Amino acid sequence: MAVTEQGVLGEVLQELARLPGIGPKSAERIAHFLLAGDRSRAKALADVLQRAVERIHQCRECFNLTDQELCPICQDPKRDGSVLCVVETPRDVSAFERIGRYRGRYHVLGGRLAPLENVGPERLTLDALLQRVQRGGVREVILATSPTLEGDGTALYVANLLRPTGVAITRLARGLPTGGSLELANPQMLADALEGRRTFH
Amino acid sequence: MAAEAAIGLVIGGSDWSESSRIVTLFTREWGKVRALAKGGRRLRSNFEIAFDLLTVCRVMVIRKSQSGLDLLTEARVEERFSVLRRRLAALYVGYYMAELLTEGTQEYDPHPALFDRAVAQLRALEQGMAPLQVASEFELAWLAELGYRPRVDACAVCGGRAEGEVLWSPSAAGMVCRHCRAEARGAVRLTSASWQWLQAQSSGQPAGNLTSWPADLRAALSLTVTHVLGRRPKMLRYVDGPS
Ligand SMILES: [Zn+2]
Ligand SMILES: [Zn+2]
Repeated sequence: MAVTEQGVLGEVLQELARLPGIGPKSAERIAHFLLAGDRSRAKALADVLQRAVERIHQCRECFNLTDQELCPICQDPKRDGSVLCVVETPRDVSAFERIGRYRGRYHVLGGRLAPLENVGPERLTLDALLQRVQRGGVREVILATSPTLEGDGTALYVANLLRPTGVAITRLARGLPTGGSLELANPQMLADALEGRRTFH
Repeated sequence: MAAEAAIGLVIGGSDWSESSRIVTLFTREWGKVRALAKGGRRLRSNFEIAFDLLTVCRVMVIRKSQSGLDLLTEARVEERFSVLRRRLAALYVGYYMAELLTEGTQEYDPHPALFDRAVAQLRALEQGMAPLQVASEFELAWLAELGYRPRVDACAVCGGRAEGEVLWSPSAAGMVCRHCRAEARGAVRLTSASWQWLQAQSSGQPAGNLTSWPADLRAALSLTVTHVLGRRPKMLRYVDGPS
């Protein structure tokens, strides 16, 4: 089903349908919701989007999204600057922040190394990461790229890049999900869990 | 419509929605296939990890008769290659093979021998074969499968015996004699070690492992692949380094 409306309404539908997870049907529902009644929702949305586009950019230090020069995490003196968690996207930062357990800082790569999709090392914030580590004060870098082949390849690349600096490099553990059962775990999960086992206290 | 079974190597994929992926498989049965995996992004599912790049998996596919995507209904990991996660050079060669499989063949154009060769080369990587040797062997197999089996017994242009200096012509996909070298522009001069390796490879004999990967041999093969494909594969700058 394609967007058939003409004019400005058609443009609205088309833009909405381009958003992730929004098909033509949902686009139509959203558009009619926004344009019904006094339209204050639509105005508020347009206004905040306008400000977001103008003001949100990458943090100078970690490349997370922020409307300041330094993001709140980089500004926070209580965060431990000696530990850097390297992630692919700002969404990954949000995921870690939601669990509220990590007290170090981040470095957002801006994607993963995917040469087949024309994402080479030059497209990622790798130079900036190397410079951050070379400046000193960082004792551990946690590689938190996704557990896919491309994510692992990215981690491998970053590890090779940082090795000469002597910084400690760790990779997120993977394996059994909490609450799962051994029986139902797939063979790869079991193998990963075995490989990533640690001393039991 | 009934689902059909196949075994395939994952050579590409992209997110389709928050929960689904489009997966490109190089199947033994049908060649290249693009299919929708609903729920293929659910973390921790068996289904999802089967679609990680360069995984060999068994799948069930519902083939659409008209336009529209084929549907993947089941997937199970058959074989994974951990060397790709440990050595960048191995990973790049794995990506390179995926690129050649993607770019060199059409959808539903079966090449079972090429599938077998790709899996064999991934196993060879796993067993520690030099990544550039794995790449070179695969290039030769890929060229042969696409109808460019390199000519190594005689001049690829005139069919005459080639003596003395051995020249390799990327555009003729083979060696050329002294008389034809003028026609074969951009020919690469091969050392006798490279030459012997090529001859052994094409006669199906164990070619042995060269200790270091000669630049002339890499140039000859990569330029031939580039000629056949009509452009330089993007993974070559990772496999061979910048040129
Ligand atoms: Zn920051
Ligand atoms: Zn000739």
